[in-house]
Order: sequence, then C-alpha cells, then structure tokens
Amino acid sequence: MRQTSFKVNGETHTVEIQEGMRLLDLLRNTLQLTGTKEGCGEGECGACTVIMDGQIVNSCLVMAFQAEGKEILTIEGLDLEDGTLHPIQQAFLDEGAVQCGFCTPGMVLSAKALLDHNPHPTNEEIREAISGNLCRCTGYNKIVEAIGEAAKAMTKGEKDRGTAHRGAK
Amino acid sequence: MNPLIQEVYQTHHIEEALELLKRFGERAKLIAGGTDLIIQMREGRVSPAVLIDISSVEETREIKEVDQMIEIGSTATFTQVETHSLFDRELTAIAQAARSIGSPQIRNRATVGGNICNASPAADMLPPLLALDALAVLKRDGCARVIPLSDFLTGKEQTALETDELLDRIRFRKIPDKSGIGFSKLGVRNALAIARLSMALYVAWDHEGCCCDIRIASGALGIKAQREWETENFMAGKKLNDALIDETAAFLEENTVKRLAGRSTLPFKRHAVQGVFREAFDQAMRGPDRRIKHATDIL
Repeated sequence: MRQTSFKVNGETHTVEIQEGMRLLDLLRNTLQLTGTKEGCGEGECGACTVIMDGQIVNSCLVMAFQAEGKEILTIEGLDLEDGTLHPIQQAFLDEGAVQCGFCTPGMVLSAKALLDHNPHPTNEEIREAISGNLCRCTGYNKIVEAIGEAAKAMTKGEKDRGTAHRGAK
Repeated sequence: MNPLIQEVYQTHHIEEALELLKRFGERAKLIAGGTDLIIQMREGRVSPAVLIDISSVEETREIKEVDQMIEIGSTATFTQVETHSLFDRELTAIAQAARSIGSPQIRNRATVGGNICNASPAADMLPPLLALDALAVLKRDGCARVIPLSDFLTGKEQTALETDELLDRIRFRKIPDKSGIGFSKLGVRNALAIARLSMALYVAWDHEGCCCDIRIASGALGIKAQREWETENFMAGKKLNDALIDETAAFLEENTVKRLAGRSTLPFKRHAVQGVFREAFDQAMRGPDRRIKHATDIL
C-alpha cells in the first residue's frame, strides 16, 4: 500500500492505494465514483474515459499511482451543485443520444474535452473526437447531433452571460 | 488490479529513473503512457514486480530543433507530435503517422518512446523514423550511447536496450530541398486501427529528376519494422518517372512473395504493398503542396 494525492472533481484526495491498482479501480472502488464504467478494460471502448489534466484518457490504461499530483474530472464533476445538468448532458437528453447509457459518461467527457479546445467543431471533428468511444445502441448520429447542439447552447450561453455582465455595469 | 506489482515509483527526473533501473534490474519495468504495458500485464505476458513511471518526466517530453536536427523526447505523446508545428509542412508524414494511431484517448497517453521500445512489427511511428534515418539516444547511469534506429530494432518486440538503459530521445536530420517523405498505412478502420501494412518513403532528386537518395521502411511486412534495402538499391540513381514506379511496385511484390511465403496474409499483402508504396511515393514527391496533381510533375 502507498499513499497518493490527487484532485478529483476539484476536491483534493489523499488515499491509500494498492500498487497494482488502475486509475479506474481507484475511482470506482476506493472513491465510489461509479459513473466511470469499465467496458473492455483494454483501451478500445472508451467507457472508462475521464479527463486528466485537461485531456481525455482511458482510466483502465492509467495506473493509480501515475495519477499522483494530477487533476481528474469524472462525469460526477460535470453538473452544477444545484443539480443543473451541464449543457452537454442536457443536449444528450434532448436529442435522444442516450439509450442504454453505458457509453454515455465517457462520450460526454470526450465531448467536453473537444468543446473546451474547439467551441465550434464540424461534424467531422466531432466524429474524430468520439472515435475512441464505442456506442452499440444509437448508431452515433444522435450523439453527434447532441454535441453539435451543446456547442451551440454553450456559445449562446456565453454570449448571454456576456450581455448580462455588460448590462450589470 | 495486478497483485504481482509490489513497488511503484513516480519519477520526475531521468537520473531518478536510471538509478531505480540499476537498483531493480530485471524485476523492474519502465512505464510511460502504459497503453501497451498495462494490456501486456493484464494478459500475463509481462509481470514486473516494480514499475517506474516516467510519464511525468518533463525533460524527455520535448520536441525541438537543434542545429538542423529534430529531436523527439521519448515521453512525448502522439498528441504532441500530431499537433507540433515542426511536423506541419515537409515532415507532415510524421504527424500523419502519429494521427493514425489509436484513439484520442490513446494518443494523449501513448508515447513515441513506448512505440519504439515495444518494437511491434506494426508500430506506426517506426517506418517514418526509419525512413528519416533516425538515431536513438540511449542513457544509463552515468553515460549515453547513440545508435541507428534500424540497429536498435533487433526483432519482433526485441530491441538493443539493456535492462539498466532507457531511450532518452530520438533524432534525425531535417530534410533538404528537392526531397520529401511520405507515409501510407492500411488499417481495417479509421479509428483505433492497428496497421495491417504501412510504409514510409524518403526520396531526394537531382536537377535531372534522378533519384539521388532513397530510404524506404515498412511496417507489418515481416517480423519487425524495417528498411527495405533491396528496393532502395533498385531505385537508386534511376530517373523518377511512372515507369520506375511501376517497376518498383512489381519488385516489391516479388520481394513480399519471397518474404511472406506460406503466410495467410500473403495474397492480400502482395497487392497491398504496391498500393502503400505508390501512395507513400506520391506524397513524398508532392510534399505539402497539394496543388501538384501528379507526383512526378514536380521534377
């Protein structure tokens, strides 16, 4: 056992980990953050996707001790404290981009990493961004549409906030 | 969970990692991106007792130009390579090879050094680096050595790396005017595809349009990624024209038939090898300028 410290969803954690643990085990079993799913366990399906230091990674292919000092965002860290969904989550619901839901946390986080870097992606860029996330239900079209809608909503949201801010002045 | 791992170390300096390698010898394994190693451990193909993480070492993450040479640190990720400005023009084949690997999640973690040291016959970065005649800079406690990448790769998943050594970086010369490098890969689908066959080709030409320098490297066309010396000799000094490309494609097919005799992939690869060769050659000749319609028009 060894101690390791890292941030998850903005909160610093210091926990005992076993040397052979993966980041995925640490999130699900130690921290009980079970929104991160285990699918294939070999980096093919993307169900275990989390954002680490701003980039999406497969948490099944990161050892827990490698996360020392890193900042991790899981699906649990996406909505606001009052329970309001993140615009990407909302768009997934509105567009019918969720069926069985197993791929959804990873899919939403891949979308978030994309929109953080590229707020106006083309459909091609969206498809590329989720190419490491497999979905066996939707056929992907609704997911791509949802991410496109989320991008629009987020840009509009920023504009509205900008106006409100200027108005307050 | 892997119960066999007893000790783990997250290092921030290469010296630290080298000291640990020396201390633990064969019981230890270096881990960077982990995208191959963690799967190998899961399948029981390797079972190290000690893991030494070098993915947080800053000094080996750099990609830079030094005196007409380009250096790629061993822990630079594929995402870094595919987005680096050094690879957006003449050396776009490097970015293209990096982009063809795995998924965004994999490319954010997987490192160039890992791809080289795992030495898979289908490793995507190897053909372009071999075609650029890259050198591998290896370090061990207190000393360093530099060897050609083609000598570093000794067989299927085999390298010249000693147990107390690590790959620090690779370097290669920038390419001169009147030369180009191309890369072509055949996979089963766009994302996540492991190369069924890949090829990189560097060619330089003189004022008469003759081939004055050529280096060809293939992936998944034998037990390791390798230079295609015979094909290079076949093309050397000849006029670069459509007839030569046809002859070389036929030559490569003949070579493949000999090399892969009896393999189930032969009926596919004997044809595919010609396609990847033509595509890599075409890209090498046209370079980043997409206005040129026909490869040899540039001569």
